[in-house]
Amino acid sequence: MAIEKILLPYNFTHIDQKAVRFVIESFVHLKNITITIFNAYTAVPEIETSSATVTGKLKGSLSYLTQKIADQENELNKVKQKLVQGGFAEDKINTVFKPRKKDIASEIIELVMKDQYDVIVLNRKHAKATRFFSGSVSHKISMSLKGTTVCIVS
Amino acid sequence: MAVEEKIDIDVFKVVFRAMAQSDNLEIMANHMAQLLVAALEIKGCTIFALNPESEELEVLASFGMSMGYINKGPVLSKKSITATLKGNPIVVQDVNNTDLLQYPEDALKEGIGAIVSIPILFFGEVVGALRLYHHEIWDISEKDVDSLLVLAENIGLAMAYTRVLKSLKKIRYTINDIRGLWMLEPK
Repeated sequence: MAIEKILLPYNFTHIDQKAVRFVIESFVHLKNITITIFNAYTAVPEIETSSATVTGKLKGSLSYLTQKIADQENELNKVKQKLVQGGFAEDKINTVFKPRKKDIASEIIELVMKDQYDVIVLNRKHAKATRFFSGSVSHKISMSLKGTTVCIVS
Repeated sequence: MAVEEKIDIDVFKVVFRAMAQSDNLEIMANHMAQLLVAALEIKGCTIFALNPESEELEVLASFGMSMGYINKGPVLSKKSITATLKGNPIVVQDVNNTDLLQYPEDALKEGIGAIVSIPILFFGEVVGALRLYHHEIWDISEKDVDSLLVLAENIGLAMAYTRVLKSLKKIRYTINDIRGLWMLEPK
């Protein structure tokens, strides 16, 4: 089966950068390939605005929170540029930056099922304690998807 | 002049309600980090989980800090503001004037002026740390430090709940996997 669509979930760590290098080295020779860089962020929580004191206190700072999230989106565009420098066509690279509503693995699975990706390039962080709370993203994805190649960069 | 108290009952309400909006620990911790940054008007906040084997503090949620700073290297509980791991809150009022930091140069490069480190406790055991970073020298009130301890205890509770829930789910999946075998009657 020809590879046409690659999903690259990205979370700004050193291992994510390694995954970008892997994508460049492994897939740049393929023609007509589309890459989607994906990041799901935690949106600023909705705050009940009936309490004037809290609103007054937090309102100014909320724009700072929103700005910080926008900065993150800009960082995702820098990853796109890295792939372009690596040899991929700019019009074949998309970024998906969306608020997360569930765990990261479920967000990725939902996207793969909706858009039918051929390959997902994941990475495996070495943090054991936090994995105990969040679960292994790579394990959940590889157990849930059929007909999709899952590459894990470690 | 008395130090201004920034965490009052209204802030507590907002933080707890935001935490209660999600059943996912990471989202909950991220919301807490975001709202503390907003309420205290500080640079950023990171919530760590303690890995008892490696004694490393692993990032569970973070807001406001650059990716370079978050990825600066392993945060070792024995080298970075160690008293937090004994269960005590620590206020580093001026990062230029302390020997408590593991990565002092990275902190200065990041534009951090002060750090408050709060232990996350569960049943008296340290399970993580809540760290708040200010752009400038920070004279935080004792009452705000107390309030942060209460908020950290709630994250500790959520962490414990998540561990139990994950363990129960694993048991359920395992039982589902082998249920077919149980149904087989020996001939």
